Amino acid sequence: MKLSAVQADAIQELGNIGAAHAATTLSQMLSSTVSMSVPAIKAVDLSELGNHIGDESAAMVVFELQGEIPHGGFIIFYITRESAMRLTNTMLGMTDMDRAFNEMDQSALLEVGNIMVSAFLDATAELLGFIMLPSPPALSIDMAHAAMESLIAQLGEEVDEVLLFSTELICEEHKIDSDIIMLPEISTLKRITELLEAMMKST
Amino acid sequence: MAEPNPQTMQTAMIGIGEYRVGSFPMMTIGLGSCIGLTLYDPQKKIGAMVHIMLPDSGGRTDRPGKYADTAIPLLLKELDKTGSSSNRSLVAKMAGGACMFEYFGTNLNIGERNTEKVRIILKELGIKLSAEDVGGKVGRTVTFLPASGGKVSIRRADGVTSEL
Repeated sequence: MKLSAVQADAIQELGNIGAAHAATTLSQMLSSTVSMSVPAIKAVDLSELGNHIGDESAAMVVFELQGEIPHGGFIIFYITRESAMRLTNTMLGMTDMDRAFNEMDQSALLEVGNIMVSAFLDATAELLGFIMLPSPPALSIDMAHAAMESLIAQLGEEVDEVLLFSTELICEEHKIDSDIIMLPEISTLKRITELLEAMMKST
Repeated sequence: MAEPNPQTMQTAMIGIGEYRVGSFPMMTIGLGSCIGLTLYDPQKKIGAMVHIMLPDSGGRTDRPGKYADTAIPLLLKELDKTGSSSNRSLVAKMAGGACMFEYFGTNLNIGERNTEKVRIILKELGIKLSAEDVGGKVGRTVTFLPASGGKVSIRRADGVTSEL
């Protein structure tokens, strides 16, 4: 699906609102300032996924988008391995960076992902009147590309290109760099763009 | 596809659904549920590598490298063009087929289905699968060196490497 410039702008604005709410929750959890980038929308051919997401280690908390559209794609809280360690250390009152992720870290990451993604989806639902519910989360702390290609494989045989829609959230104080990435399935994307266009016409 | 030039031994990066044939080094990064399959001709020292994403093409023909059922016959055809010997002398190795997320059971386990399909097709075509590193909940980056005896090395996220 090719997005027009207007559609891309509209989705970007939607991302702005969703990510701003997610950033607020992260800021509250860390008691620190969190800044966010302008949301980026990239149409990525499958063969070029590796140019966008490499085999670096990252933690990914993944939710399937459910609700009106049962398998609507995925929304992901993505955080590099080092940032993830700093995040859980900050939350759990630890300082040791040179250690393996334990169960406490994993619970903390799942919880942060849960709170942020819920905030993101609540905000977009309020704006659009279109409900996307997050599934229970799944966590991978491994090569980012390996996790991402496994999700894309679930979108179906006919998918040759995906739309990656990401917003970077940064906490300077704790040197934490993370992203919220949305990987919408085509019917979700169509529904969102229709609703956004209808909204723009009515205003 | 460009003719492989033995002078430039730069590593070819093989993205999802892509394949290459030649004697130059090849690499697939971050395999999750996908499969990195290599076929090596020990006589000619030429190999082929493909990055398979799904087991069945369901009749789709535009990206043959993406599906196990179309990818393997395609590699054979391409190897054949280089004057490679019969299927029986080829050495096949595969890596990947992991299950990165336990929760998402909507499509059963794609990694396992990919692995199973590749095994079945190789068997049907009379190609021996000489080594594999598949399954688990782990990503793999795979390097294939046709010029060095078809060596396949695997690196995991924790930096641990192994050879097939």
